[in-house]
Amino acid sequence: MRRAFVEDRESGSVTSWQGSSGRRTDEWSECLTLIASKEDRAAFTRFFRHFAPLIKAFALSGSTMSATHADELVQEVMLKVWQKARGFDPERAAASTWVYTIARNCRTDMFRRLQKFNTPLAAEDFTPDQEPAEPFAMLQTRRSRDRIHELMASLPPDQAQILAKVYMEGKSHAEAAAELDLPLGTVKSRVRLAIQKLQIQIDR
Amino acid sequence: MAKFHPDIDLLTEYAAGIMPLAQSACISAHLNYCPQCQRQTARLQDLGAVLFEGLTPEPVGEAQLEAVLARLDEQPPLSYSRAGSVAGGRLPALLQRLMNGDFSELVWKKITSSLRISYVKTGDPNYEFALYHIKAGGRIPEHKHRGSEMTLVLQGGFSDAAGSYHEGDFIYRELDDSHAPTALQTEDCICLAVLDAPLRFTGWQYRWMNSFLQLRAG
Ligand SMILES: [Zn+2]
Repeated sequence: MRRAFVEDRESGSVTSWQGSSGRRTDEWSECLTLIASKEDRAAFTRFFRHFAPLIKAFALSGSTMSATHADELVQEVMLKVWQKARGFDPERAAASTWVYTIARNCRTDMFRRLQKFNTPLAAEDFTPDQEPAEPFAMLQTRRSRDRIHELMASLPPDQAQILAKVYMEGKSHAEAAAELDLPLGTVKSRVRLAIQKLQIQIDR
Repeated sequence: MAKFHPDIDLLTEYAAGIMPLAQSACISAHLNYCPQCQRQTARLQDLGAVLFEGLTPEPVGEAQLEAVLARLDEQPPLSYSRAGSVAGGRLPALLQRLMNGDFSELVWKKITSSLRISYVKTGDPNYEFALYHIKAGGRIPEHKHRGSEMTLVLQGGFSDAAGSYHEGDFIYRELDDSHAPTALQTEDCICLAVLDAPLRFTGWQYRWMNSFLQLRAG
């Protein structure tokens, strides 16, 4: 509690900080809340028009997925958004992180289906059992997110390129190294440098 | 609280969804013991979300929207319920599910007088996913790895030349590290091990067993 209070004084009040930083994401959190509480199809349609084109771009960014599968993925993810909206907790995650996570999981499952993996597990089963979120930790998470937004523009192009390969194209470090004709160590260190620059790493 | 953690490279691969299935299961299990790595992973996932928001949108036709709207009344598929986890069990739900319960449900194969191994099916064709049961004070004969090995302590603990490990601790080894772990004296130790190449015992008394230790992926 005491630490949360100190945080409060540094930044004005917690609420004003939230209000000034999260306006864009807030619109989408509200959509999800409406979908969850009222099965609001208009809110869902707004959400679809914004996120479906991003999901499609995500699906196609690896250039290994056919257009048909990309469309299938868009439908699958958006259907999950509708079905899982009640599980969305605006205190814990931003709407875009929540959707991204669903899209990532659905893509993983689709690849495993296409490769005929015989597994009882779906990608979402790998979400660890969660502790109740602590307010101070959540505040830090929100700040970290804003910092990533701000610092992303200043990332050197070679680091940004590798992050895109790993996160959006879904390439392993080794695959990214082969594709860019770089030693594995260089790829790993570029990812690590980017993570440092974006101040994502927690000291431990 | 866990003292040994996956490094940032591994957590990034996990968060980006590019890690092989069996290894992901091991990292996920560590996260159950480790709020710190959970927070780190959440941040790495936020990075993914920021990149995702920055993508150049690909046009999606109205027909797609119509198709999804028409499916909204579908019954959602049944998903695995976490409520079904063994009550009071500290084992991560994902492991309980893979094992169909707890350790007593497994079939154990005796390797030495103090080591038993149980192979668990994950569906990952390239990695073996196994539980090691080492008797209190028992030692695993010195061995090497040709590939990589992830280890997670689930019960009790063990030590080797590099340190001593307890519940929730995660250890990652690559290529030709040779070690001989010994379980703590106080209780039996159970570890999860994820391998992409079989163990190789190095001592002459145990070498004959190597032919029995082919990789059991799947
Ligand atoms: Zn950890």
